[in-house]
Amino acid sequence: MANRPGGELATRPLHFIWICDCSGSMASEGKIQALNTAIRESLPAMKKVAAENPNAQVFLRAIKFASDAEWITSKAEPVDQYKWFDLVANGETRMGKALSLVADALKIPPMTDRALPPVLVLISDGQPTDDFDNGLKQLMNQQWGKKAVRIAIAIGRDADLDVLQKFIGHSELKPFEAKNAEMLVQQIKWVSTAVVQSVSAPASQAPGQVGPGINVPIPKAPDNIVNSTPGSEVW
Amino acid sequence: MNQLLKQNQKIVSSNGIEYAVKDFLGDGTQGEVYRVTTSGKDLALKWYKQGFATKEQWDVLQNLITIGPPTAQFLWPIELVKINNIPGFGYIMPLRGSNYKGLIDLMKGKIDPSFNVLITAGFQLADNYFHLHSLGLCYSDINFGNAFFDPNIGEVLICDNDNVVVNKSDLGSVNGTLYFMAPEIVRGEARPSRDTDLYSLSVLLFYILHISHPLEGKKQSAIHAWDYPAMLKIFGKEPVFIFDPNDNSNRPDPEVHKCAETYWNIYPKFMKNLFTRAFTDGLKDPENGRVQENEWRSSLIRLRDSTIYCQKCGSENFYDLDAIRENPSFNTKCWNCKSNISIPSRIKINSIIAMLNYNTILYQHHLDGMSYNFEKKVAQMSSNPKNPDIWGLKNLTDVTWVAEKPDNSKIEVKPGQTIPLMSGLIIDFGISKGEIRN
Repeated sequence: MANRPGGELATRPLHFIWICDCSGSMASEGKIQALNTAIRESLPAMKKVAAENPNAQVFLRAIKFASDAEWITSKAEPVDQYKWFDLVANGETRMGKALSLVADALKIPPMTDRALPPVLVLISDGQPTDDFDNGLKQLMNQQWGKKAVRIAIAIGRDADLDVLQKFIGHSELKPFEAKNAEMLVQQIKWVSTAVVQSVSAPASQAPGQVGPGINVPIPKAPDNIVNSTPGSEVW
Repeated sequence: MNQLLKQNQKIVSSNGIEYAVKDFLGDGTQGEVYRVTTSGKDLALKWYKQGFATKEQWDVLQNLITIGPPTAQFLWPIELVKINNIPGFGYIMPLRGSNYKGLIDLMKGKIDPSFNVLITAGFQLADNYFHLHSLGLCYSDINFGNAFFDPNIGEVLICDNDNVVVNKSDLGSVNGTLYFMAPEIVRGEARPSRDTDLYSLSVLLFYILHISHPLEGKKQSAIHAWDYPAMLKIFGKEPVFIFDPNDNSNRPDPEVHKCAETYWNIYPKFMKNLFTRAFTDGLKDPENGRVQENEWRSSLIRLRDSTIYCQKCGSENFYDLDAIRENPSFNTKCWNCKSNISIPSRIKINSIIAMLNYNTILYQHHLDGMSYNFEKKVAQMSSNPKNPDIWGLKNLTDVTWVAEKPDNSKIEVKPGQTIPLMSGLIIDFGISKGEIRN
């Protein structure tokens, strides 16, 4: 017999989507392996943050883009059941198509009309080879696209920072620059934890600290994540 | 795993105590926590991540170490440690036992403690924060993540004490989340203080007893994107209690907030009144409108004393004297099986009324209305070994009671003896008298 009426706290879904560049250039210098390792290693910490926020139900999905763009898993998985399957790199950089796939996933339906802001993380080492602007426009035409927290990680020195900044859409938040594997691991981990935490349960902010148009205050990333850390081969 | 410290890493504190790192326990925003061992005893070490090992944090910790824990239920910094050749620092604290569960497990419905256990936990939270505030400190970050309890007995532990600062010192970083923060902090008008701690405590107690947030109702579920501006509105700019007697705009949405009404209806009026004050006056008047810790303590003890058990299904329910006085034909209905519950025997000592259930224990505060000392039992219910249907109160003190029956005859009840209960019996405990009613 139950002691009390039971029940659990009302929750809202938090959709987290990795958008991963699998173009040919990612095959060199161990970049795709570093990305696979970084995301795989980030999962336990993300699961822990999700477990500590009973008001949020975190769902994970990922898109890979190269000469085409496709979902790695067809549906959003609850974070504690999510498994990462290693990506391989080969082909072009159809980033625009990837964003249009995200746009489709953020329509209502399949999204419900009541959720936490989605988190979209675009990771790329190069320049888009398709119509990026059109893809971004489709994304931003969706209500959930507008409300999403959009983060970008630039891998190596050839990444197109302007395009990534356009994706982010707020000048206060810059793309992370992963100059080596260690930085990528730290940045991916920070995005999976600090950003998920901020969306699930934002900390209170001093007046004026949150810029206009920012709907989720992202804490400032520690210096060692943003600036160069000594490590293995620099990309 | 990239951890800051390695297993078997040796650490020697400035007091000359040597610790060895055993296991990695967890990873937070500010630092990593390890199990360490010294002289055969296991403790915990929090080692700060780069950027958080600041002089300000060192000074705060040094001050806390000097002051010492308000009670043994705070997992408090014991000493600071540095390691040669590794930048930064950490601190040693007691280890949390594995029998303690987080409040998050309660919120997710993974554990089902009794009402009695939750009331005990709620009382201990109010009591411990009272002691912290009495030292002139403020916690500033009361939330789910830093309180743990034993789901069998309700014993509480309070963790993450490295952000505790002197009340109104302006030193504390505003760490808390919007769910627990006082509206004036959410609006950016104030910094953490004892007054804002009292608000956060009231939210925590509401969550524990209702598995719901006090300000999340229809107004919140009508919002599509639950982001920072939305939370600013619901928790800061336009907060409305879900059971505000004068404003029904934010009642629980039955599709979303399924627990709120269910639990609210179980508790007696005096608890409802206290929560109502916490989230009406308490929203608007930080200095004088908030429920104080001693009010939470006495009300939670009164709630525990009001426990009655359904004769049909055994579920815990609560005696509501105010409802009975308002309407003499009021029936206490079991929340579980809906049957009417007969009110058991109870004792009235001054203004305190305690139900006399099979497991009732009376403590010193039942007699003197003052000091809470749960080590000092005064009386407990005991059944007659020859006739288990006859119940009495056993004298657990070293003072002889004098019991007066309705026919005015008197009996001595020596220490260890039990006096059978009957309606109208008056027991003189020495410092106060109690009357039994059926």
